[in-house]
Parts: sequence; C-alpha cells; structure tokens
Amino acid sequence: MNEAITGTAAEAITLQAVSKVYGKGRGAVAALREVSVGLPKGGFTAIMGPSGSGKSTFLHCAAGLDRPTAGTVRLGGTDLSGLSETKLTELRRERAGFVFQAFNLVSSLTVSQNITLPLRLAGKRANGARLTEVVQRVGLAERTHHRPGQLSGGQQQRVAIARALIADPEVIFADEPTGALDTMTAREVLVLLRETVDTMGQTIVMVTHDPVAASYADTVLFLADGRIADTMHAPTAATVADRMIRLGAWSR
Amino acid sequence: MLPFAVATLRHRKGGFIGALIALFCAAALVTGCGTLLTTGILGTVKPERFAAAPLVVTGDQNVHAVEIKSKGKVKNKAKPVSDHVWVAAGLADRIRALPSVKSVAAEVLFAAYLPGGPTSDSFGHGWESASLSALALGSGRAPSAPDEVVLDASTAARTHLHVGSTAPLRTESGTMPVRVVGVTSQGFASQAAVYFSTAEARKLAGHDGLVDAIGVFPAGDPASTERDVKALLSPTAAGTVPAPVVHTGDSRGPAEFPDSANASVRLVSMGAVLGGTSLIVAVLVVVGTFALSIQQRQREIAVLRAVAATGKQVRKMIGGEALAVGLAAGIAGALAGLPLGAWLHEEFVSLDIIPANVPVVLSVFPVFASVLATVFAGWAAARISARRATRIRPVEALGEAELKPPRVSFVRALFGVLAIVGATVLTAVLTALHSDAAATPVCFNAVLLWCIGLALLGPWVARLAVAVLGVPLRMSRVGGYLAANNLRAAAPRMASVITPLTLMTAMACTILFSQTSVADAATAQRAAGNVADYVVGSKVPASAAGSVKAVPGVRTVTEVLHATVRTGLNNRSVLGVTPAGLADTLDLGVTDGSIASLTGPDTAAAAYGQGYHVGSQVSMTLPDGTPARVTIVAVYSRQLGFGDLVLAHDLVAPHVDVPLDDELLVKAPGVSPGALAAALKADPGLGIRDRVRAQASHNDAGAKIGYVTLGLIVAFTAIAVVNTLAMSISDRGREFAALRLTGATRRQVQRMLGWETATAVAVAAALGLAIAAAVLTTYASGMTRGTGGLSVPPAMLAVVVGGGAVLAGLATWVPARAALAAGLREG
Repeated sequence: MNEAITGTAAEAITLQAVSKVYGKGRGAVAALREVSVGLPKGGFTAIMGPSGSGKSTFLHCAAGLDRPTAGTVRLGGTDLSGLSETKLTELRRERAGFVFQAFNLVSSLTVSQNITLPLRLAGKRANGARLTEVVQRVGLAERTHHRPGQLSGGQQQRVAIARALIADPEVIFADEPTGALDTMTAREVLVLLRETVDTMGQTIVMVTHDPVAASYADTVLFLADGRIADTMHAPTAATVADRMIRLGAWSR
Repeated sequence: MLPFAVATLRHRKGGFIGALIALFCAAALVTGCGTLLTTGILGTVKPERFAAAPLVVTGDQNVHAVEIKSKGKVKNKAKPVSDHVWVAAGLADRIRALPSVKSVAAEVLFAAYLPGGPTSDSFGHGWESASLSALALGSGRAPSAPDEVVLDASTAARTHLHVGSTAPLRTESGTMPVRVVGVTSQGFASQAAVYFSTAEARKLAGHDGLVDAIGVFPAGDPASTERDVKALLSPTAAGTVPAPVVHTGDSRGPAEFPDSANASVRLVSMGAVLGGTSLIVAVLVVVGTFALSIQQRQREIAVLRAVAATGKQVRKMIGGEALAVGLAAGIAGALAGLPLGAWLHEEFVSLDIIPANVPVVLSVFPVFASVLATVFAGWAAARISARRATRIRPVEALGEAELKPPRVSFVRALFGVLAIVGATVLTAVLTALHSDAAATPVCFNAVLLWCIGLALLGPWVARLAVAVLGVPLRMSRVGGYLAANNLRAAAPRMASVITPLTLMTAMACTILFSQTSVADAATAQRAAGNVADYVVGSKVPASAAGSVKAVPGVRTVTEVLHATVRTGLNNRSVLGVTPAGLADTLDLGVTDGSIASLTGPDTAAAAYGQGYHVGSQVSMTLPDGTPARVTIVAVYSRQLGFGDLVLAHDLVAPHVDVPLDDELLVKAPGVSPGALAAALKADPGLGIRDRVRAQASHNDAGAKIGYVTLGLIVAFTAIAVVNTLAMSISDRGREFAALRLTGATRRQVQRMLGWETATAVAVAAALGLAIAAAVLTTYASGMTRGTGGLSVPPAMLAVVVGGGAVLAGLATWVPARAALAAGLREG
C-alpha cells in the first residue's frame, strides 16, 4: 500500500505515518500507530474494527476534527497540519461533510434551514435549484419546513446527509450513520449513501461496526490496535463478518 | 427517593451549583437583615455618662396614647420624643433624703462646641455630674471660675487641647473663651463632654429649676433603693404628670441618648424591608434556577418516568433534592450572614445612619429563621418547578424524539395575569402615598410584583420580544440569524435569562431614582422657597444672629431651627423660624391663609395634605416632652423642602437640646459677603453661602440606606444573572458541537451567543426600565404631591444599563469559551 500514498490527484485523503496518542507519560494510550493510507476519489470506504481499535480517531484525524500527534493528513491535496483552528473549520466547511450517529441537527432550525446552514456559515447564498435537488435526492421534499423534532430518526439522518451534500464537498465523513436506526431505515440510509457515490461520484468515508453497513462500501479497511490490519475490496456482509471474527482472534 | 436524590446531586453537581449559590446568598442576606432587625429590637444603647450611676431618674421620655381597639380592648402605646425631658431640680434633695440612698448627683446639659470637636452630641455639663460616669481627673483640677472647664480625654485629644490651653466655646448665647483646667483620665466614645463648675453649668443650661437627669447611688441593696425612689416618684407623690421615670441597667442608655430610639426604629424598618425584599427576590431567583435545571434534566426525568416512576415519586425526588440543597446552602449561608450583618451594621454606623453606641446583636434567632426560610424557599421553588417535571412524557426518554418544552400551563398564566393586575393596582396606589415610610415598601413590592408577573408570563413575553427583535437580528447573516431561530425555538430558556436581568434593572433604577426624584424635588422646593440673599450656617448662636442684624443694609434675618415634634404619636418634622419679615427670606408656597399671620408661639403653618386647614387647632408634644397648642394660620405646598410644620422660633428653641440655629436666612440687598463675615468674627467656624443648600438630613440618610440596599440586592440578582446565563449556556454543548461540525467557526458560535444575550439584555433593559418608569412616576407624583416628576441622572442610568450589559456579556463569554474549548469530537 505504501507506494500508493504519495498524494496523487486520484486520492481524496492521504494519511502519512499518522499517530495519535491520548494522555501523557505512563497513562498514554496510542489510538493510532503510524497509519499510512490513501483513500481514492469517488470511492466509498468503510473503516471497521473492534471497539478501541482507533476507527473513530482515524475518522477524526482524517477529517481534521482532531490533530494527529505525528504524521501528516492531506485533504484534497491540502496539508492540514499547518492550519489554524479557524482555517481548519473553513476548509472543513468547503471540503468535508459530516453524518453522525446522533444526527447533530440544530433543533431550532427547519429542515431546509439545517441543510443550507453550511452555506450560510461560509457566507454563501443557497442556490434554490441545488437545495431542491438535494432535498429530492434524500426524499424530504415534503418536509422542508419541519423541525428536527418533528421527524423520525431515519428522516433526521437524511437531513444530515442532505446537509453534508449541499456544499458539494470533496469527502463525506460518516461515523456510525446507521447506529441509531432500525434495520429498515438503516438500509434506506445506506442505499442513499451508495447512490450519491454511484451517481454523483461522491467520496465517502464511513466508520461502522456493522458488517451489513460495511458491505455497501467499495473497500473496507480493518483497524486493530491503531494499525490497519487488512483491506478488503468488494465486500459482502458475510466476508466482512468473517474477517471481523478472525480479526478479533488475530489481534489477540 | 432521598438516597436517589442525594446520588443525583452528587452526579449532577453543575446543575445544582446554581441553586446552591442562589440559596446561599439568600440565606446570608436574610441573616444579615435579620441581624439588623434583632439589633433594632433587642439592641440597647450603652450608657456612657450614666455608666457609673446604678439608678438614673429623668423625665418621662415617652408620649403616651391609649388606643381603643375593637371589642373594647385598650392598648397603651408609647413613642419617645427626640430630646431630653427635664425634671425638677428639687427632686434631687428629696431623693437624697431617702434612707436607702447614699448620694445623688444631678446633671444638666447644653450644646457646646469646641473648634475641631464633633458638631453633634457635644454638650456642656456641671462638674457635679462627673461622678455619674465615675470620671477622675487625669491632669489638672476641677473647674471653679466661670470660664474654667474640664474636658473628657477623647475630646481633649481630638481638639488638641490640654491643661492651660484656651479655646472659643460656642454655646446658645454666643461664643465664649474658656480655659482648660483639667482633663479626665477616661474619655467618651460617642460624645464630647465639657464640664463647667456646677453653678456656672446650671446658669448656662437655662431651664431654671430643672435638671435633665438625677443619678442615684444606693446605700445598700440597689433593688430596695429603686423601690423607694419609685414610690417617691409615683404620680401622686411627685405631683407632676407624667411622673419622672427611674432607669436602671440597660434602660439608662436610651435615657442618655433619646435619639437612639429612632435608630432602633430605623434598624427595624430597614431590616424588615431589606430582608423581605431579598427573600422574595431569592424565591424568584431560585424558582428560575430550579426550573432551568429541571428543563435541562428533562430526558433524565423522562427515563425515570419510563422505568415506571410515578409523577408523585418524581416530585418527591425533586423536593428531596431541593431539601438537601436548601439545607446545605441555608446553613452555610446563614452562618455567613452573621459577619454580613455585622458588616452592614458597621456600614450604617460609618454612614452616620445609626449611632455607634448601639452595638450589633448577633443572635441565633436570625440564623434559624434564615435556615428555615431558605429551606422552605428552595423546597417551594422545587415543587413549583416539579409541576412541570410531572408533565414530562415517558416516551421522551426514548431516544430521538426531540425534547419539547411543555406548554405553559393555564394556572401559571392565570397567576401571571393576577400578579400584573396586582402590580398595576400597587403602582396606582403610590400616587396617594405621600410619606417615605408608606411609599417605599409599596414601591419595592410593586416592582417585585411586576417582575413576578413577567416571570410567570415569561415565555410569551420572550416570544413577543423575539417576534419584534427577530427582524433586525436576521440582518446579521450568521450570528443574528442563528440567534433569532434559537430564541424563537427556546423561548422559555430566554425567559429564564430575562427574568433576573429585568429584576436587576428594575430594582436598581427604582432604588436609585426614587432617591434622586425625591431629593431633586426637595432641592427644587428649597431653591424656590429660599428667597434670602445669604445663608449663614450652621449651629449659629443667638449673638451671631444679633450681630448680623446690626450690619447696615441687612433687612431681615430669619433664624431657622430644625426639630421633630409629635402630634399624637406621629412624628412631624418642623421648622422653627423667627416670624419677623419672614416673607423676605422664605417662600413656603402658601396656598391658603397668610404667612404674615405667623406671629407668635401660638400660631403655625402646616404643609398641605395632613388634614390641617387654616384655623385648625393642633396639639403637639415638643421635643423635650412639653405639650403645646397652636392655631394654623397658613397652609403651604413645599413640604419636601421645609417639613411638615413651620412654628415660631420662640416656641421651639427653649424645648430642644440644641437651640443653636441650623441656619440664618439673611435678606440684605446690596450688602457684600465681606461685611457679613466681619460681623461674624466673634463666632469662628460659621460659614456664609450665597444660596441655601440646606441639608435635609433624613433624605441624606435615605439615600445612603438606598445605596447599601442597592448594593446587596443588585449583587444578589447579578449572581442570579450570571448563574442563569452560565447554566443555560453550559448545557448546550451538543448544540455547539453540531454547529461546529456543520462548519461554524468558534467565532461564529460566539457571535450567535453574543446576539442571543444582546437580545435578552435589550428586552430586559426595556422591561426593567418600563417597570421602573411606571412605578417611579406614580411614586414621585405621590411623594412630591404632583409637584415633581421623575428625575433620572443620565450617568446613573448609563451605569445601570451598561453594567447589566457588561455583566451579561461576561456571563456569556466565560461559559461559552469553556463550552467551546471542550473540543470538536462528536458531541
């Protein structure tokens, strides 16, 4: 893999020897250990691993939400390590979209206000056509004036996806996007994510512990003890589940 | 549920710290005020001059009245007069003749001022009375020649006089040179004493055949001597009505300092008003804090409901938490209130509102009362808030369903409307209240009731305010836009921030501007009423008035003396003036009758609105207890500037402890100040001013009390403001994280919060000022009888509004920083 991570134009995100250590001295815990990987543009990558394997840390570092202890992260060709907190926020606003397990919608805003919020925060005007397109894509055309409190969990997650899509970001980061949903709703959300990759060429990085969710990705990275333990292309729920079981045994 | 409540407290420290702080401060304030109250009720002024005499006989210092209550009950009421009541000197010999009496010593007193000495409580006495305080000469000898005096040690130190020095001593008749021939080894703490020879003192004191006190030294058992003296003094035996009174122990203090009774009354009323106000403010603040903490725990409470806790159990749990918090905060606060009470007392002493020789009484009573009040306030606040908690649906525990603030209940709305109606009535009533004592508590209560009403109707008020202010807010693309949406969606939260801010603004304005309005109206009346060319003051002896009159070109000299008399049991502030040429110097704003008819001791002018009219006969008790009867010949309007009654100087001067004039009003067209100053050479220390800025001392004390009160109540509400803001912000971590993840910079979130707080401040300032304006307009109209309006110094207003804004800004910025610094990983 190492030869493929020199930061070519085909990669949306490049991590180079990224380590993340929490705490200091004896109590220090290494969540990532010199991880190097490149994630291709237009690809749907799932990150899997047992609890504590460092998959959330991986996502936070890759998205610029957290700073690595060592190593460099490139998002769309920009090195994140030198950026100030504000610059980082502005970069994220332009190039990254987020979908989380807890939806993280702003409860005081309506659906369409939530979706256009990133544009407003960036000081841009919302394009009406673009909003309609995105809203239709996520299937919320009839609910644009509702508030998050009036929506079901699946609907809220679709608002979050629409919000992530609105600014046409380079990468969408999803952290357990189906974690709080029932299987039927989860399936709808995953299909929606898959569609954005297939029809819009969107890049998605998704952390999950659900083999079924991972099976919607093009590639699955397996993390264990802060290292990339394996990579699997064209995954199915069964192969992922099988690999996960062995991953647990292997890591011991 | 109590163990569970304690566990919750331990777990959710943050949410309870707010309530804890609010209750702690309330307990401290209530104890502090309670301490003032107890000092007023139980505190006794310590005797100084009478300290060594076991028994002291004086005239009856009280005015008595019999009130017949309903059902034929009779109540005897007594109120003290302001100055010493004298007794027959011959009584001393009759007491001395009693077999159980070893010796007696009589005291006389007259106002006597030394350069550099105190300008009040400075008296001359006869050397005979030094034994009442067991004074011994530290140096020199006893006075014998008429111009020889002995000073007490503290006065000698203060005036830098010693044996052999001479000094000009100002007394009623004039300024006389005295020679210091002795200094005592002991000194007095709260007065200056100048001892003449016994004979000379009797002469200087006037009051022929009278003394102000007789000290009695028993031969054996003081109790039997007391019995004998009392028998001698019984009305039938003494032949005078009312009979002289025997004082022993602590009651000798009030006999020595008649005005200390006023201090006690002042302490009681101050303690009650301040304590009551802070208790109501406390309940308001604590209800707000508990409501907010329950709002924030909605999901947790829903979980409890989901695992099948009944509404009653939840209420019990919340009540239990409140009891635990109230008890902890109450005990700690009540104990902290004792030093606060002592400090308050010290402040009031240093501001000259109460005399230093009424020591503070620290007792357990206010502590217990305060703990009880705090625990009850906390518990009641929690129960009120818990009504809301019971309505939380168990399904809200189940994850994604967004938490919705419960609807504001009908009962709450009803009480809100009732409070507003009550506040309107109180505000209207203020126009009919013309005295400080009646208007001030009503004024405070009106403000509190307005605030309570607004607090109850808070969510509607907030929604309305946001509907109006939302439009300009949205001009700001990010911060204002988000703020407007947040405020609309979370109106109850905004309401809980607005309430204490409104209270703070309204209280501060009311306390400050009620003083300035009345003081300005009084000053205006004095300025308009004083038509003299010059004013000479203060403590002017008769000789000075004479020499000013003798200056060529001087047309009229009006001698003015301030005093307090009682009509029935009521206190009336009076002005004693020399009637000749009064129209030249004083324009009282006469509405009926004529001031020219004020000619002698049996005539008087009365301020409008006390029920007197021209021709009324008024019976009164003069400051030394002497009854008098006058006929009203004029009614005037300038009561705030010149007091309730204007009497003839001759009627007042012989019956006060300090007959020196407070000021001379001089009509002398074309006479230079230099010519007057030359005439005053014989009496050093007197000043000449162009126009009077005569101090109405009670207004001054009122203003000072106001500032101390203001400090405490505002400090308390400020804590509540900070509390509420911090609580409401620190709970929004999730929301901030969501915004940050959507791409908001820290600055954008901070601006959003800034706009939210700015809106709350604007709304609160508008409401607070509106309340204060409404209450103060009617207050001022009542107090000045429609002659003066609201007086608001712009600088003070700016400090109040600006101070509130800065406080709210800080209380937003600090917790916002903390909440945003928590990092950016998924909230």
